[in-house]
Amino acid sequence: MLLNYLGYAVAAWVFLWGLYGIVTSKNLVHQVVCLAILQTSTYVLLLAIGFKTGGTAPIFADIPVGTVVVDPLMQALMLTDVVVEATVMALLLSMVVKANEVAGTVDPEELRILMG
Amino acid sequence: MSITGFIPLPVAVPLMAAAFLAFAGRWIGRRACDLLAIATAGCNLALAIVILRGVWAQPQVYWFGNWWPRPGGVALGICFSIDAIGAAFALLASVLTTAALVFSWKIFEDTENHFQPLMLIFMAAMCGFSYTGDLFNLFVFFELMSVSAFALCGLKTLEPAPLQGAFNFAIVNTVGAFMIVMGIGLLYARTGALNFAQVGRSLGNTPADALVLLAFLLITVGYLTKAAIVPFHFWLADAHAVAPSPVCVLFSGVMVELGIYAVARVYWTIFGGTLAAHAVEVREILLILAALCAVVGGLMCYTEHHLKRLLAFSTISHAGLMLAGVALLTSKALGGFVIYVLSHGLIKGGLFLCAGIVLHRLQKIGENHLHGCGCGMWWTAALFIVGAFGLAGILPFGTLLGESMISESAAQLRQSWLEYVFIFAEVFTAAAVLRASFRIFFGWGDPAPTDESSRVEEKPETEAPRQRTPVAMLLPAAALVLLGIAICAVPQLRGSAENAAKLFIDQPSYSRMVLDNAAIVAPAHAVSESLTSSIARSSIAGVLAALLALGSVFRKKLSPTLNFTRRLELGNTWLRGLHSGHPGDYVAWLSFGTACLGGLFAWLLR
Repeated sequence: MLLNYLGYAVAAWVFLWGLYGIVTSKNLVHQVVCLAILQTSTYVLLLAIGFKTGGTAPIFADIPVGTVVVDPLMQALMLTDVVVEATVMALLLSMVVKANEVAGTVDPEELRILMG
Repeated sequence: MSITGFIPLPVAVPLMAAAFLAFAGRWIGRRACDLLAIATAGCNLALAIVILRGVWAQPQVYWFGNWWPRPGGVALGICFSIDAIGAAFALLASVLTTAALVFSWKIFEDTENHFQPLMLIFMAAMCGFSYTGDLFNLFVFFELMSVSAFALCGLKTLEPAPLQGAFNFAIVNTVGAFMIVMGIGLLYARTGALNFAQVGRSLGNTPADALVLLAFLLITVGYLTKAAIVPFHFWLADAHAVAPSPVCVLFSGVMVELGIYAVARVYWTIFGGTLAAHAVEVREILLILAALCAVVGGLMCYTEHHLKRLLAFSTISHAGLMLAGVALLTSKALGGFVIYVLSHGLIKGGLFLCAGIVLHRLQKIGENHLHGCGCGMWWTAALFIVGAFGLAGILPFGTLLGESMISESAAQLRQSWLEYVFIFAEVFTAAAVLRASFRIFFGWGDPAPTDESSRVEEKPETEAPRQRTPVAMLLPAAALVLLGIAICAVPQLRGSAENAAKLFIDQPSYSRMVLDNAAIVAPAHAVSESLTSSIARSSIAGVLAALLALGSVFRKKLSPTLNFTRRLELGNTWLRGLHSGHPGDYVAWLSFGTACLGGLFAWLLR
């Protein structure tokens, strides 16, 4: 019974740590990685939603009809999520590289030019 | 004529053109890239008009790969379900992209930065976002829109400021996007569906439990982050201050508004039934957010002296007014919201293009550096001043019509205090733009004081300063501002908008249309009330704005009692200090806002 909720609890836990990391980060690379950690919480959540105890892979070619399978839609959602966020991470990290080249710092505190 | 075949094209055509330009851009040369991009955007504009006409009376549903739900079955496929409101947003996106691409004829001399392909992807994503009828599809277009926007914002990678602005923008919006994914996941866990209509039908009218409320919270916060509603708004000013002017047109004119549109769409197709018993509380919570946003945006707008940042805060203020249109949860206010978005997008787009002209001609963007420098740029000055009165919503502008519908609806719901919020936001945003134009173009009064953000100068987008404003720059700016007036000439605009909104908020008809392939009967024409009281009120706002701007400019000459304008211009240090430029702070505010909103939901909506 408790195990059914474990996935959701882990997702919330990872999400909050990711937020904490982004808020307190002193390094832009670290901050992007924290965002990636935040993102893994969405994977855990989607996995927890799609998982069925005792379920097998939803490929109906070689399993009898009526076998318990996990939700096939979730992997599609997760794959989309992975692709989308890989793009965001790549873009963010390239911005950090550029910021290091242009401003010579990866500390968000020192990079603060816009404010007020 | 059936428009079914045209429906996927506003997404497919610009994506293909973008792929071609990204691949072949370096060989076919700069001008060919420009022409192709403008032609694609123009083609999209024509398609968007055809689709808007096609769905005007009868909304259309398009199932990709013909995966329509069989009678009695469930929706497994992905659909575009287009009504007049979605089609109008796509049209606005196409108009603004076309104008922005024409404007950029004279800027960005090299093709290496992929400006044109990114703009086309941005436009395709915004069209798909307005058309889609599927929750996860909405998220995918949201992310496509976001990623191209991040890249466009940080286009000038040789300066640190654009990188900081784009980084803040990307971090905050991506956190919002993850919240949306989680909300979608929770809804899928409950209903097993992703189609708006199917999810809405599965949730039905049973009162929302904790899981549905959590999903509502996460999705709302995610889209309100995109909509730059206080306290999720911090990224917007940084992003607008550094993005190239034609990109700002799309950010302010339509991207932010699409965030509010998504909240309305999701509420009315999914949560409308299950939260029906708590509609009053939802209205009050959203109205508080809207009012807070309008007031904070207005105050901050007046303290800014960086021209683009000033306009960015005026967008935040107006986003609050637009959210009020959605928050009232009536068809009349929603119709007003649509008209307000359309006219505001055109006017604000025109103003950002004017700021681009100022940067092009004078090579600077800070009000304090430009005092009197703009003498002789009469056309730009005229557009600035006309646009400022457009923000105030006075007589010939479409903003007046939208505002009048929202105020009427508010008065019917005994929320008349909203009128004062409208006047406040309109006076402050219009006065800030007027004050800047008086100083820059006429050189009146003393130079503007220096503030923190106006120190940040922008490298000009063009090489050498020019003595004349190119037609390719002035024409789109003038066209946008004039369209903001011409929109009033659409016959029966208010009645049509209200009818479209009636269909928009009718959840049972929507799900019958999508799931059962039923024809929707357009409701009878609503009778629009007279505009007299709105005209009077907005004229007062316009006069007050002009007086405030003149008082600020001439305060030393006129009277020491006008010194309060100096405090308005330089004060609010506490509020300014919150806009710290640190992405961690912004995410902390996002978390704080989510927690507060979640607390209110848990308290009031159970």
